[in-house]
Amino acid sequence: MNTCLSTDHVSVSYGSGAATVRALRDVTLDFRPGELTLIMGPSGSGKTTLLSALGGLLTPDTGEVSIMGTTVRGLDQEEAGRLRQRSIGYVFQAFRLFRSLTAIENALVALEIGGVRGPRALDKAKAALEAVGVSHRANCLPSELSGGEKQRVAIARALVNDPPILLADEPTASLDHASGEQIASLLRGIAAGARRIVVVVTHDNRWLERGDRIVEMSDGQVTKDSGEIQ
Amino acid sequence: MGLAWRNLCHERTRFAVTLCGISFAVLLMVLQGSLLTGFMRSASRVIDASDAEFWIVAKGVACFECATPVPARFREIALGIPGVIAVERVVAGAAVWKKPSGKSQLVYVVGTEHGAGREFPLPYLSGSEGPLKPEMVMLDESNAELLEVSGAGIGVEINRRQASVAEVISDFGSFIGQPYMFTTYRDAVQYLGLSGEDVHFLAVHASTGSSLARIQSELQSRMPEVNVWRREEFAWEAQTYWTMLTGAGSAILTAAFLGFVVGTVVVSQTIYATTMENLEEFATLKAMGASRFYIQRIVLTQAWISGSIGALIGVSITIPLVRLVKQSIAWVYMPWWMPVSMVAVTLGMCSLAAIVSVRKAVSVEPARVFRA
Ligand SMILES: Nc1ncnc2c1ncn2[C@@H]1O[C@H](COP(=O)(O)OP(=O)(O)OP(=O)(O)O)[C@@H](O)[C@H]1O
Ligand SMILES: [Mg+2]
Repeated sequence: MNTCLSTDHVSVSYGSGAATVRALRDVTLDFRPGELTLIMGPSGSGKTTLLSALGGLLTPDTGEVSIMGTTVRGLDQEEAGRLRQRSIGYVFQAFRLFRSLTAIENALVALEIGGVRGPRALDKAKAALEAVGVSHRANCLPSELSGGEKQRVAIARALVNDPPILLADEPTASLDHASGEQIASLLRGIAAGARRIVVVVTHDNRWLERGDRIVEMSDGQVTKDSGEIQ
Repeated sequence: MGLAWRNLCHERTRFAVTLCGISFAVLLMVLQGSLLTGFMRSASRVIDASDAEFWIVAKGVACFECATPVPARFREIALGIPGVIAVERVVAGAAVWKKPSGKSQLVYVVGTEHGAGREFPLPYLSGSEGPLKPEMVMLDESNAELLEVSGAGIGVEINRRQASVAEVISDFGSFIGQPYMFTTYRDAVQYLGLSGEDVHFLAVHASTGSSLARIQSELQSRMPEVNVWRREEFAWEAQTYWTMLTGAGSAILTAAFLGFVVGTVVVSQTIYATTMENLEEFATLKAMGASRFYIQRIVLTQAWISGSIGALIGVSITIPLVRLVKQSIAWVYMPWWMPVSMVAVTLGMCSLAAIVSVRKAVSVEPARVFRA
């Protein structure tokens, strides 16, 4: 099936009554395979909320999110989990590696959740670490890795099941300049190489040259979209 | 994948505390269980040692240590019932034992007749057969020191009558504080100062193949003034009497239950702490699409790993400990199924302890992964 991810008039708000925060207002976006989309905008503009909605981690108040042709609304927790497992890899600012597991075991967990075990899983995990250039650190615990290495392992874990969509929230914000550059070009390659949808939320202007499309947000709304389909 | 195991090992100190708590709980439960089993077993030890099918017991008497006279003629009545092949008279009661050092000690004299049972201690001339030796007593090895008996052949004094020790036996340790002193019916009557025909219990043997239910109801209807019990019934009555009515059983059960509670609390505390510490990781797992089952399994596996290892440590400490305790409390009894079933109880305890943590872990919001 075609790789596809879209939002259709999505609104999300937090809290209730006077304290209601409208984090997303009527956002309609369609993402294309092979493209690296940057979501930019000031703090509090709703970028993370958009990413959570795109990742099927929350159900919008109104509007629809469609992941690989499946509408998130109406799925129960387990179904949504399976959809995420099949379709999406996540990369976080704080890496979120399993701290008691080695690099390769972190990748193996992602495979195990998808039901892949044994020697086949081991081969895939090794290949994933290889692809991001940290195979030599396979047996290290996260605490023994540098920031850049941690993020590479996290990307390997996100990609080990070969998901069509990769969502990253500030993936370079915790990294020094050089590591940030490397991670950015790594993600750039990931989008182009396997015709994935890659969505990166960032503040960092250094990403600008690497994005195929830039979506700017403010106050929960899309204010500018360089790749709008006319 | 050993995420559960790795999480435990990552926090070694806490894991060690968990294991200590569980081992202690197991120790407490096995020890108390052995006390209770041993107590119940010795409460009916003498009754179980007979191989009589029935015991005739005075009304209101619920244990062997509460010997009360029954009419002597009941022996003949019982013998007249078809299917009854033998009836032994049994007397029992307290007597004063004079130690070689001159000090006195109360003993519980038990006298019965030839044929009471192959296991029933009686001073036979040779082994467990043949004629009985007069003026001979048998006592348990656990009481030998108290009674200042160094071995067979020692001359003693019971209620101012002479006797000598025929044999020091084992596994008949008394739990009532008065050592059992086994002898023949004739001699016991003498020691206890009873008259020649007095009887406290009648042990009734039925021929093989006869209907025990019929014999019991015939015995009972011919002797409505007494209770006619199957041996197992009398044993059960005695066990209930000593464990329930005296409160000893509840005391032991309470301690065993406390062991269970302590174990559960310790395990739930540490499992909960581990779960809370890994809550962000559970959120990550959920975002990655892990099912409820997958997350439940991690938390439960942590509980079960702790439970199994803790139980093994606990049991391996308890087995030698019970042997040690047996030196001062002779009637402690640990059947093989006691440690085995406590391992099962421990796993149940750990599952119980994990419930709160499991709920916490499965209900974590996956959306929080982008927030931290
Ligand atoms: N769980 C929540 N409960 C209440 N309000 C929330 C919650 N998450 C986000 N918000 C609010 O929603 C709005 C959008 O938040 P969001 O995290 O999406 O912004 P952002 O663009 O990612 O900001 P930043 O660049 O600082 O990460 C903000 O006003 C924020 O305070
Ligand atoms: Mg954000």
